[in-house]
Amino acid sequence: MGEYVGESVRRSGGEERVTGKLAYAADLHIPDMLHAKLVTLDCAHARIVGIDTTGAAELAGVRCVITAADLPQPVPRYGPVDRDRPVLAVEETKYYGEPVAIVVADTENIASEGAALVRVTREQLGGVYTLEEALAPGAPLVQDPALRPESPLRGSNIYDQWHYRWGDPDNTSADLVIENTYRFPMQVHFAIEPHVFIAAPGEQDGVVIWSTVQHPFVLQREVAGVVGLPLAKVRVIATEMGGGFGGKGYPKLEPLVALVALRTGRPVRLLMSLAESFLMGRRASSAVTMQNGFDADGRLVFVRSSADYLIGAYGDITKRIVGKAAYVATGPYSVRDVDVTARAVFSHTVPATAYRGFGAPQYLWALESQMDEAARQLDMDSLEIRLRNLPAKSTVLIPGETPVDGEWAEGLTMAAKAIGWHTPLAAGRGRGVAIGIKTPRAGATSQVIVRLHHDGSASILTGTTEMGQGSQTVFAQIAADCLGIPFHGVNVVSGDTGRAPFDAVTASSRSTVCMGNAICAACEDIKGKLRELAGELSGAAPGGIVVSDGRVRVSGSSLSYGDVIGGVYGRGEGEVIGVGEFRQPKDDRHPLGGPSPFWEIIFVAAEVEMDLETGSYALTRLATVADIGKAINPAQVEAQDEGGALMSIGQAQMEQLIIDREGIPRNLGALDYRIPTTMDTPLEVASLLLENADGPGPFGAKGVGESGAIAVAPAVCSAVSQATGVTFTQLPITSEDVWRALRHRAANT
Amino acid sequence: MRPFNYARPQSLREASQLLSTHTGRAALMAGGTDLIVQMGRGLHSLELAIDIKRVSDLGDQVEKMPGGVRIGALTRLEDLAANEVVRASFPALSEAAGSVGSVQIRSRATIAGNICNASPAADTAPPLLAYGAQVNIFGIAGRRTLSMERFFTAPGKTALLPGEIVESLDLAFPKEGTGSAFERLARRAGMDVASVSVACLVWHSGSVRLGFGAVGPTPIVAEGEETDSMDWVGEYVKPVSDIRAGEDYRRAMVVALSRRAVKRSRKRMGEDA
Repeated sequence: MGEYVGESVRRSGGEERVTGKLAYAADLHIPDMLHAKLVTLDCAHARIVGIDTTGAAELAGVRCVITAADLPQPVPRYGPVDRDRPVLAVEETKYYGEPVAIVVADTENIASEGAALVRVTREQLGGVYTLEEALAPGAPLVQDPALRPESPLRGSNIYDQWHYRWGDPDNTSADLVIENTYRFPMQVHFAIEPHVFIAAPGEQDGVVIWSTVQHPFVLQREVAGVVGLPLAKVRVIATEMGGGFGGKGYPKLEPLVALVALRTGRPVRLLMSLAESFLMGRRASSAVTMQNGFDADGRLVFVRSSADYLIGAYGDITKRIVGKAAYVATGPYSVRDVDVTARAVFSHTVPATAYRGFGAPQYLWALESQMDEAARQLDMDSLEIRLRNLPAKSTVLIPGETPVDGEWAEGLTMAAKAIGWHTPLAAGRGRGVAIGIKTPRAGATSQVIVRLHHDGSASILTGTTEMGQGSQTVFAQIAADCLGIPFHGVNVVSGDTGRAPFDAVTASSRSTVCMGNAICAACEDIKGKLRELAGELSGAAPGGIVVSDGRVRVSGSSLSYGDVIGGVYGRGEGEVIGVGEFRQPKDDRHPLGGPSPFWEIIFVAAEVEMDLETGSYALTRLATVADIGKAINPAQVEAQDEGGALMSIGQAQMEQLIIDREGIPRNLGALDYRIPTTMDTPLEVASLLLENADGPGPFGAKGVGESGAIAVAPAVCSAVSQATGVTFTQLPITSEDVWRALRHRAANT
Repeated sequence: MRPFNYARPQSLREASQLLSTHTGRAALMAGGTDLIVQMGRGLHSLELAIDIKRVSDLGDQVEKMPGGVRIGALTRLEDLAANEVVRASFPALSEAAGSVGSVQIRSRATIAGNICNASPAADTAPPLLAYGAQVNIFGIAGRRTLSMERFFTAPGKTALLPGEIVESLDLAFPKEGTGSAFERLARRAGMDVASVSVACLVWHSGSVRLGFGAVGPTPIVAEGEETDSMDWVGEYVKPVSDIRAGEDYRRAMVVALSRRAVKRSRKRMGEDA
């Protein structure tokens, strides 16, 4: 083991963040920059009859007003999977907040004033805003069937559907069968930093984009497609972000801003407010129906499930979200007979996109609630019923998938023990456990360049972006130990497509494992080259030269990296460039394109204290156990789990985006959309780690980041259910919901 | 936010004159914690914000007077919550002031701002009603005093006439043998608008005077006798359903919180004795 891996090295950029010194995208001032404001309608689905831009165009300080008619025809479309989203609304708006025009002006205030002067004549059209409406016979179609002429689903609002099955689910039986439908609400990411998009023409006839974007390479590809430039002429710089959570993953309005910048010949900035950021993307709401069969001992015999995810007006990344979520619908449990179907359903609402957990929370909350209901009916302990269904290490959980790679029963037991599971429970309290699991993105590639400078320091050029998760620190720790150099001698250049090689996405808890392995490979490449250089210098055969602990040992003498590089290239000159990549095996027969590199899993135990009169409840104890393999930086892992837990507490207790019957969101912004405050945190929190060095990443690491956000809400629900005896089938569970459920139960007994 | 003009008068007379010459197009601003947020959301198209923080004849302290206290209009909620006299004699007001927003908001928001914004959910309104506060009002034509219960007229509306400014609030010390408390429910534990709030003042005899927030178009006052269920308070409230809570939940909670407030007031009465 090296010197830095496993240590809670102080994270780079932390001080700048907490003191406000960090330059976020909104702090950038590009010389000669213009400011843009979107024109949107006061309704969701509407036909655009006419747009009168005269008033705005005449306003002093307005540089231009652009509508779909001013764009190349047909209006360019983009999207990470299907290119279905137009740069500006064409003929009709499909959701509240969809831009119909953009006003560019000298200042932000003038742009706002100009946007208010654009007169749009529109005819409001009927829309579909719920699963029931979207799936009703004769429902208005959200997507133009001409966009998918080949698809058999083009005449419906179903974007895509999935079916997974194994065992013999048609001829199965069980002692106990439980069926419920669980409804999960829309939620927004609520990154503290709103979205900011800046584009500037120039730099060798290309375009430069600064954006709050997690995946700059996806954006580069989509912008290049829209503006018609080669990739080399589109440079995307992902600024350090104040939170992403998936909401900053896929292209938003950057293609529009890029077109406008090229049109005006000047840098253009579009700054979103927090409320406007809510209209950039959201989590899919869902209805998950689960029928679970158990034997008398509490063993899960079968799972039959059908789920609908309500996505928005455009596909975005939802094909992957729903397909992957349904794939792990049985969670961490071994089930003999399985039949799972899922559909992604279009609606006239804000596009659904990636959100920490990527579709898994919707299923796992349903599954875990079913486990609790079974435990109650079988009069079993809710920890015990789970332990009976957890697979042993190396078991194949899903046919064709990576076998179980951790000690899962150990993890769950650890979490339960941490809140005193077997100690007597005080009156008015309830306890629950739950497991969060997901598979990181399969078949994805991370490539990296590591430069070893002639003074023995190193620079990592990585496409992985920094949004507060601490990847830069972890990468520097890994490189420092691989090369045997001081941590402070490693610099990380990240998230710039003009400087760093390709990285698929910064998401899916994959960076430590995937980019981390690529960095290790690049460091090995450097060591190999050092051996060659030392051989050249000394005449010794490279095979007999050893590079370790930051030294090069050749025929009895020990040289520094500087000695070798300087010796070859001249004093104070040259460097050694290491190239590395991590590529996951692709398998076209695999439903996700290939097996998962590892299982990301977390075990949670929660205790709540109920106020049965008002229905309010507080978390008294919370313990999470992440099966992390090896924590490269334990403090950062704990912070990830705590942050995820707090986010998930919001899902359990208060978060939901409310869309009214006309398709208009009713709680845009911080005043009306509730997320937890520090006052809402549990009284006691333990973030524990299970470190068995059994992951595929550097030093045996697995990934972290999403799991904390998956299982805390189910554990809290489980505890509330235990305290009240009620199975809740809708999130969030507010005080009012508890009060209503208790009143309903009292009226029926 | 649209551009607007800003004035910083030095005297009440000057402020009042500015306000009356721009009736309907100007607003007073102290802490700005309501006004600026509302302007940012486009709820006001103000031409003029009149900053009264430098008005020399407006107080920002709690002054002890014979028989009670006088709270200057510019008294910040953080100071009000922490004030020793308020904590000892008007604990429901201290609790209510301390439950508004966050430390940052309370360090700017003022007592006059909280009542003049006239939100039905204003946290300080229920205790001010329960304690029978008097509102001292300055106008060019002269000063007048209005009881708290006549001050609120509709959501966002007060009984202030054009050009009038709240100067201070007077609270008489409760009689010996009384106790008081404040209770609230919100959707989360920190920094939230109340879904229901209740303040009460209980006399040893069993008489109670209560103030309710967020259960009607204005804060509401009620008087009656202490009972075990306190369900009679339901007669006084007119809650609606909104994104914060349902009508029936509010109705049930105003009764439950009244019971709790009475119970805690009783306990405090015992501590004083």
